[in-house]
Amino acid sequence: MRSAFGTVFGLEWSLMKGNRAVWGIVALLIVLAGVAAANGGARLDAARTLIDGLNADELQTQEALKSTVARWEANPQTDPPTVTSPGTVGMSLLGHYAALPPAPLAALAVGQSDVMPSYYRVTAHPAYTFLTASEINNPLNTLTGSFDVGFVIVFILPIVIIALTFDLVSREKEMGVLGLVAASGVSLASAIFAKTAARAALLLAALIVMAGVIMLLGKATALLPLALWFGVVVLYALFWFALALAVNATNRPSVTNGVILANVWLVFVVVLPAFVNVAANTLYPAPSRVALTTEMREATEEADEQAAGAREAFFFDHPEMAGQAGNADAYFLQVLATNAAVERAVAPLLKEFDTQAEKRDAVVETLQYLSPAILTQQALAVISGTDSARFAEFTRQVTRFHARWRGFFQDKIVKGERMTAADFEAIPAFGYTDGGLAWPAVLKPLAALTLVTMLLLGWSAQRLRRFPVV
Amino acid sequence: MVWTVARKEFVMLLRDGRVTWSAGILALMLLAALVTAGLRYESISAERSRAQAVVDAQWREQGEKNPHAAAHYGVYAFKPVTALSFFDTGVTSFTGVSVWLEAHKQNMAEGAPARDSTAIARFGELTVAFTLQTLLPLLVILLAFAAFVGEREQGTLRQTLSMGVAPRTLLVGKALGAGAALALFLGPILVLGFIALGLVEGGLALLDNALALALLYALYAAIFLFLTLAVSAVADSTRTALVVMVAFWAVANFVLPKVAADVAARAAPTPTLVAFQKVIAEDMQNGLNGVSPDAAVAQRREQTLKIYKADSIEKLPINFQGIVFSLQEQMGNAVFDKHFGALSETMAEQIGVYQFFSLFSPRLAVSLASMSLSGTSLHDHEDYTRQAEQFRRDLIDKMNQEITFKSGPNQTDYRAGPDLWAKVGTFAYVPPSLGSVLERIAPNLTVLVLWLVAAAVAALLAVRRLRVTVA
Repeated sequence: MRSAFGTVFGLEWSLMKGNRAVWGIVALLIVLAGVAAANGGARLDAARTLIDGLNADELQTQEALKSTVARWEANPQTDPPTVTSPGTVGMSLLGHYAALPPAPLAALAVGQSDVMPSYYRVTAHPAYTFLTASEINNPLNTLTGSFDVGFVIVFILPIVIIALTFDLVSREKEMGVLGLVAASGVSLASAIFAKTAARAALLLAALIVMAGVIMLLGKATALLPLALWFGVVVLYALFWFALALAVNATNRPSVTNGVILANVWLVFVVVLPAFVNVAANTLYPAPSRVALTTEMREATEEADEQAAGAREAFFFDHPEMAGQAGNADAYFLQVLATNAAVERAVAPLLKEFDTQAEKRDAVVETLQYLSPAILTQQALAVISGTDSARFAEFTRQVTRFHARWRGFFQDKIVKGERMTAADFEAIPAFGYTDGGLAWPAVLKPLAALTLVTMLLLGWSAQRLRRFPVV
Repeated sequence: MVWTVARKEFVMLLRDGRVTWSAGILALMLLAALVTAGLRYESISAERSRAQAVVDAQWREQGEKNPHAAAHYGVYAFKPVTALSFFDTGVTSFTGVSVWLEAHKQNMAEGAPARDSTAIARFGELTVAFTLQTLLPLLVILLAFAAFVGEREQGTLRQTLSMGVAPRTLLVGKALGAGAALALFLGPILVLGFIALGLVEGGLALLDNALALALLYALYAAIFLFLTLAVSAVADSTRTALVVMVAFWAVANFVLPKVAADVAARAAPTPTLVAFQKVIAEDMQNGLNGVSPDAAVAQRREQTLKIYKADSIEKLPINFQGIVFSLQEQMGNAVFDKHFGALSETMAEQIGVYQFFSLFSPRLAVSLASMSLSGTSLHDHEDYTRQAEQFRRDLIDKMNQEITFKSGPNQTDYRAGPDLWAKVGTFAYVPPSLGSVLERIAPNLTVLVLWLVAAAVAALLAVRRLRVTVA
């Protein structure tokens, strides 16, 4: 004989099979996720094309410069062309595109990728001159945000679950079925858990189909990250199921349950994120970009005025380079000296931008546990490689790389050397070193979601055991 | 009779715990938004004017210089914040706050605050406008979803109608009752908002805009009120009424705006920064009308020599280099106008997509109109960059005129001083008048009025066929 759980599960399943509204809701979820994934796939393609284009552009420029130099080297009777000047090459003609390659699941969440640059044009000027550049975007689009899979999961999936579950118990009670169930000797709690499980199973099936669609349309083929992604999504879904069950277990009318769940959704998905953001920005506000602008100008002015002094200071820092004769790049020496002075002046302020940003992220990391929506959003962004931490790491790597790249030209400028054709082959190139998945940033939220879900289920079981059936 | 119905509805709503809880959340969020945004506005506003004063002083006190060196030094135009930005920050988190105005180049605004914020800012920023756009309709739905269908389920609808109350009277009374409850919840915050506006610098000048905003959001609430009443009249259960309206709210508020953003970005893609700079550099090098800059300079030299009847530029009574600078500037400006103009047009096309989607989502229409009335829309940002660019062109022109007419032929060691720097003046952004803002948002307002009319008509039609018993 089948257990009571099995019987109720089976009955609920066949009831749902005949319910068009349920199918409609589930189909809508899959279609929305599919559209979002296709959107993400297109975005991913565009990002890759962009990076390829940049690399091709750079290669073309570099080849052109190199061949000009090579032509002169073959026939060096005339004056050397300007492209043999390391200053001209490093500070005006050539720039190196340092790009952050999109992670395998990048199509699934836009994250910060529409705000943070995914490439920088590295030059021999100070890093702050190119780190502040940003891609052209309609700010209205950035404000509104993209319709990505992350949005479907964090915002819409809970609404779908609420629609499937807000009257899970209350409706049975309103229709007078609960009394009959209790009279038949079946444990009420187990019958209700079976009902919930049936609905959860249906949604799980839908999520599996959805994951397939996403894999196909979002070009998300890396299996391990995808499995992890799916794990986060399922746990987030289970949390909302458990919450709906708990609200039902408080024995209120269906409509009140609906209103309560809508309000809880609002608090988790809209209210708390807004407050957490305000908290982070208020506790650790970014220093003023405006003040940075004026300070930089002040420093440049000062450096220009004390040009000679700045130059001496520069050679004081680089004694090995002083006293080199026959310098062809006297002008760029001056520029280097001024740049160094300005960099020194604004370094503390620039550092403060970074430390405040780190502190803000730390606040978010702590306060994210207030809302499962924030937890999920953050975890999904980490898995998709579009979280702020990855962009910050990219910027750090580019900054380190910049020192190497600039060093290459700076050495030559200071030593008064010219660029040879062979030198163009030796210019350093950037490659992003991926540190792999930040496991703690995914596992901790997963653990938190599991814990809360278990607590809600336990509490509901307790309540349902003493549930008034009429 | 209408008043009796309204009073009953009002009293019942105030007694409903679900409503007071939701209203409490809304009020709390509005209050928090008002306070945090108000404080932020004060500090940002002070900071911007301080920075503008600093760069203006730097410009005036730059010492003796060749005017062209001064042009390269340039000034910065900081974007002033409007007093109503504490109500609706609009796109300002995603637009730059300063433009460097220098010789030869039209720069883009830099320093968008979004890069210095956390990732969860993307859930939506805590502003009064965001809260009203998102939560106000939900509260209205909670106030009205049970209005008819709830009474039908309790059997009181039959009694009321049997007393000879016209369905239309019932509709108006219920709308008034719900409206009164809403006014009670939001009235104090509205008053606080106006007090805050009076307190912040430059706030009183925007009183008209603030009144228009109050009306705008009242219109928005009314649309949802009548829609919900219509659904409540035809729904077969309170449950259905709630589900239908919440679904509409979610789609109109969260799904459609994002879909609009994606469709806009696909339908009229903006160029990448690299591509944009590349075409500008090419046009700068080759000239726009097939005449290269070098050829144009040669042409101008001939013309100038002819005018002054001289046979070499050394014999001109003016410094020809100033003319060359002016010519280069003109040619460059034509290139900038072409490409920045095209970019602006692309963005206008994208906004057209939003306008289209606002036919299906009143939230889009409200948010577009709200940003414009608050002076924080994309248009306002473009106004600011355009005015800054005009200021740059005037500045550079003054420098070039000085070189042309005050320095000798081919003189490179000419020095100008504070007198010339003072002639440039300071950059002061002129915000659009309320009239031009209203003209700009006319399509949004039209869409909202259409929504209201449609919702009201739907409600009237729905109550005409009011069923009294549960199906």
